[in-house]
Amino acid sequence: MYRKQVRRRRAVLVLLVIVSLVLLSSHFSESSSGPLHSIQRGVATVLGPFEEGADRALKPARDSIDWFGDTFEARGENEDLQAEVEDLRDRVAEAESAIGENKELRALVNLERQGGIPEGREPVTSRVIGRSPTVWYSTVTIDKGSSSGIDEDDPVITGGGLVGRVTEMTSGTARVTLITDHRSAVSAKVLPNGPSGVITPEVGDPGELLLDFIEEDREVDEGQMVVTAGWRSGNLTSLFPYGIEIGRVTDASLDEQQTYQRVHVRPFVDVREMEIVQVLTEPGDGDRKSQAAAGDTG
Amino acid sequence: MRIALLLIAGVVVQLGFLSHISVLGGTPDLLPVLIVCVGLLGGAVIGAVCGFSIGLLVDSALLQTLGVSSLVLLAVGYLAGRYRETFALTSPLVPPALAAALTLFGAFAFGAIQLMLGVEAPISLLILREILVQTLLSFVLAIPMFPAVRWLLRPALVDGTPQRRRRIRGVMRAA
Repeated sequence: MYRKQVRRRRAVLVLLVIVSLVLLSSHFSESSSGPLHSIQRGVATVLGPFEEGADRALKPARDSIDWFGDTFEARGENEDLQAEVEDLRDRVAEAESAIGENKELRALVNLERQGGIPEGREPVTSRVIGRSPTVWYSTVTIDKGSSSGIDEDDPVITGGGLVGRVTEMTSGTARVTLITDHRSAVSAKVLPNGPSGVITPEVGDPGELLLDFIEEDREVDEGQMVVTAGWRSGNLTSLFPYGIEIGRVTDASLDEQQTYQRVHVRPFVDVREMEIVQVLTEPGDGDRKSQAAAGDTG
Repeated sequence: MRIALLLIAGVVVQLGFLSHISVLGGTPDLLPVLIVCVGLLGGAVIGAVCGFSIGLLVDSALLQTLGVSSLVLLAVGYLAGRYRETFALTSPLVPPALAAALTLFGAFAFGAIQLMLGVEAPISLLILREILVQTLLSFVLAIPMFPAVRWLLRPALVDGTPQRRRRIRGVMRAA
């Protein structure tokens, strides 16, 4: 009797491990239109309304917990913020002068820009309803999907700046891979007149990004702003349009720049705290996937 | 049915509520704690099956690579069940301690699988802090969760209830 139980227990364990490994390898190797992905999207569609319901119902409790944490953190942040305000006053003065000049130049080349939204993009506002509990996946689920015009690779932003891109959708929800995910890489440019590079994350630290592969012989200074590069090469364009704010350079030691061609960037958006995002959809998204190029994988 | 509903509720609460909270730089993870509780109450087979199921549900809900969470959580459930089948629960601190230990194991196992699948970015040492904070939070979460899960699942699992009923019937006959 006991041996029968032991055999049964081992058989169940071995079977479940084999099934998990088969699922893992099949899912990893198949395309996003494969049968496993389709079943997965079906399950996500069914669970979506429950996630959204739980998110809305439990928001008061979550806000209460966040209030305690924010109160403890506020005191320490106060002194840092005062120093930052002084620095920003000087930058505002410089920026106002640049804005005036920019308007004149844009009028000259007949460019139009709709506030913070790049030209030709329609923002779709959505809520974050689910979040991966592990540090290895930096993804969130939002409550809008393909039925709202959202397509794969659409950039996602908040008022602060770039958040990530859409990597998978169902009709009512979408998965957003954040810029802090290990699979993310964004072409970026340092302003003003700084070098270009690729923004990659440091896994486990959502408050730090790396600007890698910066051009040699171009220096970067602490405090400079980093935005999406929005490059174009023939028929190929990057996934992210030009000018979406990413973060600010925090550590730009000369040694690291010269040895590794890298600087550290603090993102403007705290991806752990955001609740509302905007997906920048493009009218007529059908052919856009063919324009995604090697420089932007996330 | 009770177990299935409990697992689904656990997934919904984790994804819609707990994953949005940050405590000491870490996120509480309810799922390993839930699986440890089910494993301690139901044994290795039930723990493994529930861990596999909840992992599959999470990977589907978050559109992540299928099989990763299933593999990790089935191991967590199996180990919790084996502990129950091998040792007695002599102290109320055993379930929280086991939940913390298996959360730590699960986090490293998850990381090992991710490294095997390929991580394309540098890894910060802060990841260790997040894992340690999750472990501590699992200990704290398990203190109220184990009695609650035991109360909820008592009719569905075999832990203690039939023996207690037989003893009570014997007492009543003697009276």
